[in-house]
Amino acid sequence: MKAFRSGSSRYTLGLPLLLFALLAVAAPSFLATQNLVNVSGQIAALLIVSLGQLVVALVAGIDLSVGSVMSLAGCLVATQADPLWGFVLAMLMGVCVGLVNGVGVAVAGIHPLVMTLSTMTFLQGLAYLLLPIPGGAVPAALGQLANGSLWGVPQPMLWCAACALLVYVLLHRTRLGLHIFAVGANARSAHLNGVRAVAVTVAAYVICSLLAVVAGIYLAARVSSGDPAMGAAFGLESITAVALGGIQLTGGIGSILGAVTGALSLGLITNGINLLGISPFLRGAITGVLLLAAVCSQRRKVVGL
Amino acid sequence: MKAELSSASAPRAVPRTRRWAAVVLALPPAYAGLLVLVLLAAAMRPQLLSAMLLPLIARQAAPLGLATIGQSLVMRGRSIDLSSGGVIVAVSYLLTSGYFQISEATAMAACLVLGLVVGVVNGVLIVKARASAMIVTLATSMILTGCVVALSQQRAPGDAPEFLRELARLRVAGLPIPVLVWLAVLVPAALLLRGTVFGRFLDAVGANPQAAALSGIPHLRVLFLGHVASALISVLCAFILVGSVGTGTITLGQDLALNSLAAAILGGVNFGSGKGGMAGPAVAAFMLTFLFNFLTSLGLGEPGRLMLQGAIIAAAAFAYRQNRK
Repeated sequence: MKAFRSGSSRYTLGLPLLLFALLAVAAPSFLATQNLVNVSGQIAALLIVSLGQLVVALVAGIDLSVGSVMSLAGCLVATQADPLWGFVLAMLMGVCVGLVNGVGVAVAGIHPLVMTLSTMTFLQGLAYLLLPIPGGAVPAALGQLANGSLWGVPQPMLWCAACALLVYVLLHRTRLGLHIFAVGANARSAHLNGVRAVAVTVAAYVICSLLAVVAGIYLAARVSSGDPAMGAAFGLESITAVALGGIQLTGGIGSILGAVTGALSLGLITNGINLLGISPFLRGAITGVLLLAAVCSQRRKVVGL
Repeated sequence: MKAELSSASAPRAVPRTRRWAAVVLALPPAYAGLLVLVLLAAAMRPQLLSAMLLPLIARQAAPLGLATIGQSLVMRGRSIDLSSGGVIVAVSYLLTSGYFQISEATAMAACLVLGLVVGVVNGVLIVKARASAMIVTLATSMILTGCVVALSQQRAPGDAPEFLRELARLRVAGLPIPVLVWLAVLVPAALLLRGTVFGRFLDAVGANPQAAALSGIPHLRVLFLGHVASALISVLCAFILVGSVGTGTITLGQDLALNSLAAAILGGVNFGSGKGGMAGPAVAAFMLTFLFNFLTSLGLGEPGRLMLQGAIIAAAAFAYRQNRK
């Protein structure tokens, strides 16, 4: 098993399964179709952002700005009358943010935490400028795409599947994907072997921002309005998700399966807390404990970051 | 220290003016940033520089300054501490909720114990379990914040202890007590880094952990102590915040972890480069607080304030990296 590169272990894979079994036994309503549809709807945004965070984590980066990108994308879609134009604008914004982050990190050599912290702050301000209070209207067609179901499958699942497939093809079926792993494992070796490390890093940040835009559009479509603070929590949540999935923030180690299981675990925790009647405010604490357990089970060679 | 560094790296034959220019250029972006901000403020909002407001801004900067000291300690050892938000919220709840029916002195002692426990847990998990420092400290912060938020549903936080409120108000020789506390931690920390074996060890561990381990430096213990110190400094930070705000809130100091990171980097400290002293981060902490005040005084409103803040942090980091090359 290529456990070293995927970062998956029996703990990261077992956690969502364990949570699933636990909830199925403890909460009778968990397996009801409606609840499972709800869970998939709740998880979708986090899963899509986590896939982006995975790509950045693979090149040893980190992107705190995804939350603000999501909020801004939602606001853009909600304030434009034409859904297509809103979508194009949001995507363009994603490309720009990704380029700025990537160039700042790879060309200017600014630490990713500081670079993305500053874009996070800037974009949060921009979102408030665009839409000071939650509101606006998302076109009905887009709302249909996020809430309905197609061939009996809830639409959110299709969003997730499409994004996961896209990232899978990108990481495992293209040259760029191989280069992303190479740069993350050892940027200098990759450079000496002819990989254009700078371009690969910039591409990783652009992909991450684009996925955050998709997640933002999905979230806005789901509640059919924009909210400038909608995505604020997703920056740290997505990092939590990828860490739960065994992805190493030092780069080069991680898998799609990890991002999916991480996001799934977080979603199941939220759902379980609702179903079991535990105080929803304890969610953060429970997630934190699980996170500690998850990282402690994967002993690394390096100490520190 | 900065003068030593750059004169050591510059060749001997360079004329004196060039050498001074090199020294100035090598200064972290916080100094230039503060200078620009002060000039701008002098032109646009001179009242910010008055003898009445300046100490107030310094008092406001004290919590960030303290957090930055802790942050730069662990950053030098190639680690990171994001747990200060959780520690501050927990301390604020311990002090203000009245949930525990204990005297103020006991409560403050309990807070210090809490800081010690958090630091030890962080340290052990990072050093022994070799877990990622970012994830570990994020998780401890989540646990503490989650518990406090859940508890405060039963009992909302109340007023801060009289002692701390008094302390935040008092001045000695024109300087508010929080600023003195900041200096009282800053000066020993700077001396610790410059003059003691521990400081040398910390730099060595940060510069190259493997080399440090091979040369027999107790590299794990050094990092562990750094994390304990950082958590204890967060508790001090919380004392000052609670005292100056006057009441407990569950959102106290939430942006401190990330801002202290920005301040440390703008102050010239970087992950494991062994560079930068303690003065740079302190100037950066003051610069950021001055910036927040300046932007508020311009009446830009939340959106403009956030956008300028982000742009300025990025610009400072960018300018710094450019002249390093």
